[in-house]
Amino acid sequence: MESFIATGLIGISLGTQYTLLALGFTLIFGILGVVNFAHGGFYVMGGYVAYYCNVILGLPYPVAVLMAMLSMAALGWLFEAFILERVIEDHQATLMVTMGFYLVMATAILMIFGAESPQFPFPVTGVWRLGGIYFPYANMIVLGACLAAIVFVYWLVYRTNIGRGMRAMSEDLPVASALGMRTKALFPFAFALATGLAGGTGALVTPILALAPHVGDSVLAFSFLTVILGGLGSVTGATCAAFIVGLIEAYAAVYLGGSKGALTLFALVLIILVVRPQGLLGREVRRS
Amino acid sequence: MNNRVPKSLPAEIRPSLFSGHDWIALAIVSLTFVIPFTSTNPQVLSQTNLILIAATAALGVYIMQRLDLMSFAVPSFMAIGGYTVALLSMKLQLTDVFVLAAAAFLMPALCAIPLGALILRLKGVYFVLVTFVLTEIVQLLLFEAGPITGGSNGLVGMPAVKIFGMELWDNPHVLLTTCGLAFVSFIITSVFTRWFRSEFAAIETNDVLAESLGLAAWKYKAMAFSVAAGVSGLAGFALVNMLLTAHPSSFAPMSSVNYITYTIVGGKASILGTLIGALLLVSATDYFALSGEMSPGLFGLLIIVVTMVARGGVVGVVSGLLYRLAGQSPPLENGEHYLVVNGEKGQ
Amino acid sequence: MTTQSLSAGALHADRIAKSFGGLKVFHDVSFTVPAGGLLGVIGPNGAGKTTMINIFSGRLGLTSGQVMLGGTRIDGRSTFEIAMMGLVRSFQHTAIFNGHSVETNLLSALRFSRRDRSVLERLSPLLDQFGLIDNWQRNAEVMPYGLQKMLGLTMALATQPNMLLLDEPAAGLEKSERANIDTYVKFAREEFGCGILLVEHDMEIIKRLCPSVIVLDGGRLIAEGPPTDVLSQPHVINAYLGGSDEEDSDVTH
Repeated sequence: MESFIATGLIGISLGTQYTLLALGFTLIFGILGVVNFAHGGFYVMGGYVAYYCNVILGLPYPVAVLMAMLSMAALGWLFEAFILERVIEDHQATLMVTMGFYLVMATAILMIFGAESPQFPFPVTGVWRLGGIYFPYANMIVLGACLAAIVFVYWLVYRTNIGRGMRAMSEDLPVASALGMRTKALFPFAFALATGLAGGTGALVTPILALAPHVGDSVLAFSFLTVILGGLGSVTGATCAAFIVGLIEAYAAVYLGGSKGALTLFALVLIILVVRPQGLLGREVRRS
Repeated sequence: MNNRVPKSLPAEIRPSLFSGHDWIALAIVSLTFVIPFTSTNPQVLSQTNLILIAATAALGVYIMQRLDLMSFAVPSFMAIGGYTVALLSMKLQLTDVFVLAAAAFLMPALCAIPLGALILRLKGVYFVLVTFVLTEIVQLLLFEAGPITGGSNGLVGMPAVKIFGMELWDNPHVLLTTCGLAFVSFIITSVFTRWFRSEFAAIETNDVLAESLGLAAWKYKAMAFSVAAGVSGLAGFALVNMLLTAHPSSFAPMSSVNYITYTIVGGKASILGTLIGALLLVSATDYFALSGEMSPGLFGLLIIVVTMVARGGVVGVVSGLLYRLAGQSPPLENGEHYLVVNGEKGQ
Repeated sequence: MTTQSLSAGALHADRIAKSFGGLKVFHDVSFTVPAGGLLGVIGPNGAGKTTMINIFSGRLGLTSGQVMLGGTRIDGRSTFEIAMMGLVRSFQHTAIFNGHSVETNLLSALRFSRRDRSVLERLSPLLDQFGLIDNWQRNAEVMPYGLQKMLGLTMALATQPNMLLLDEPAAGLEKSERANIDTYVKFAREEFGCGILLVEHDMEIIKRLCPSVIVLDGGRLIAEGPPTDVLSQPHVINAYLGGSDEEDSDVTH
């Protein structure tokens, strides 16, 4: 029973990480109509920026996380404004440039930091225990930070004018433009918000999980799983799906072992595609 | 307006099945048959082998591009084809190259049908996501299904394939097998994509209109997905045959990006682009071998550059220049708008 | 309904209703286009006319009721299936295969509907009059709007349908080009024996061509009969005055 609860806690903390990644991914898709293949790249690079600031430069860890967020937001802004924006009308071209950018980012990391995983330990150690339940402080802090970030995103999307504009655009772009929304200004903003979140997630999570140049691949695959499960473009769907993914992964890792967890998820996604192709909470996705 | 002489319908011009680019591509592929008989240089042999396998694999991307769909599924179907061949030859002692090639094509093609039915009814974006996830699933399955696939050891010790009872075992012979598989794949792909080119072009440009005129778009999409899977399976056969091993690492998920790069950078409008892309980029990877980790970055950069400034890829730019030198404008349909100005999509 | 009107090729809508979520686009609408007949559909914007065409052509499902083509129920079938049964629609905005020549566009229409080139020969007077033969090898995408629209309409006819659904064929055409629509409709009926459901805002065209019209407003069928009679009925006039009709000028001219 204790291990069941402890596994649940791990699952929930995984869920918060996936939520942050999936929210960013979903925002970009919902608002810009772009499948961001570079999303995993921003996550990894965020991890490396935090590592550089914290371990090499010796800055405090919270500052390093902040630096990761800001630098990834800035990079995302530049990428959107100078590259993506120029091909935004052509869905396949957006796919290609984000994929290309991911490859460039991964290679840049490899060239700068090498293929070896750097030593990037979480600054807080120790384990919280209650009866037989163990939960590392590091996971607890990450869980708290991620939850705070999720609340912030929800507040931004549902309670501010910027968020209303973004949602209007994700629902009906022509209407939003007609209403005078500053579309062009919101695109890079939304993109930067999402990549900043990805960078921050990377900074928080990679010390616990793993930091290596190629971890972005699996992050991307899990983001895809989450959005297929939750429904492309749906903020609530992404959140629910991320927790489902996190919990399944955690329980499968403990009770099934190996990569069975991932296989379980894939099977779930296939079932979802058959039964409810628009995802748990998505809108109509069939070709009209 | 009313008193002019009525004009009659212009005479019918029957377009030929293959365009110039198809012929050139087929000619290049058939010329490679010469190499196993004339060269014993292992470097030349292995390089040709790698290029042909890469080009054949990238045909899967090229076929789905006819429908404006970006497929990441090539490694999955290569794996299905490759493991099918390895299992048949090791467990059932089936080594006849024709039997194995048929199996390597049919097995993935059949697997693709239910899968295609599942995802092709969704928007194009879902196709991208699902094919990406699919390569991850297949990779995991290869590791997990140990009793069949040999897990992380793979299937080692395949017997050499035979043609008319003759073993194709040494390096030139292995290349000969690859040449044959590549040639068959190029023939299948060019006949298939050219035969149905009106259908594919119509679905790509305006599927709603095509359906309202009576075209069952999903049939063509499912068919394309299935043929693409079959051709990828042949590439998987060639790869497994070259390595004499079926191993999960040969079908890594991110290798799908390479195949996409070959097709896009070479020029996605014609089959020649896929071949040229594979030729240039595999050679470039080999050339820059000293810093082998660099190749993804190079590929990424090339993809961005091609997408931003030269949508037609290498073949598109070159043939655009040739037309310009000859003082002609490129043909409307055959060449699909090679020179694209200002990064706008030129359709 | 008499059995006669349900004979081969007649299009019959039987108490059809469609709602999106809680929003009723139209409900309880019934009418028949006899085989080879011509029925006009008018109504203010938002009356559900295009939705109706989308349902008949298989792009949308029905909420209740049924649609019959001849003796066969067609609602819920897929677009290409319905097209192969002989019911083909045109689109309000230009719908052609961009980047391809006029010839390829027409040949594609033939190919997809499994017709042969002889249909083109029969269409050639129409193609000539619209100026499509003059532009035979031209990229259809760069032709003037009017030409593109006539190409789209001719492609629908090239499938040799027995029932055509025309969604505002005159919309966006210059006044001088609108005579082409008359030619097209007459040609389709006389040469191909094709029944037509004509959704149109241009009342002059409706009056010239349609022996009979139905009026949709707010998703209900509010009147039917010969156009001049119907248009003089007070509740039809009210529907138009109440609605926001962008093409008002067409009514008054």
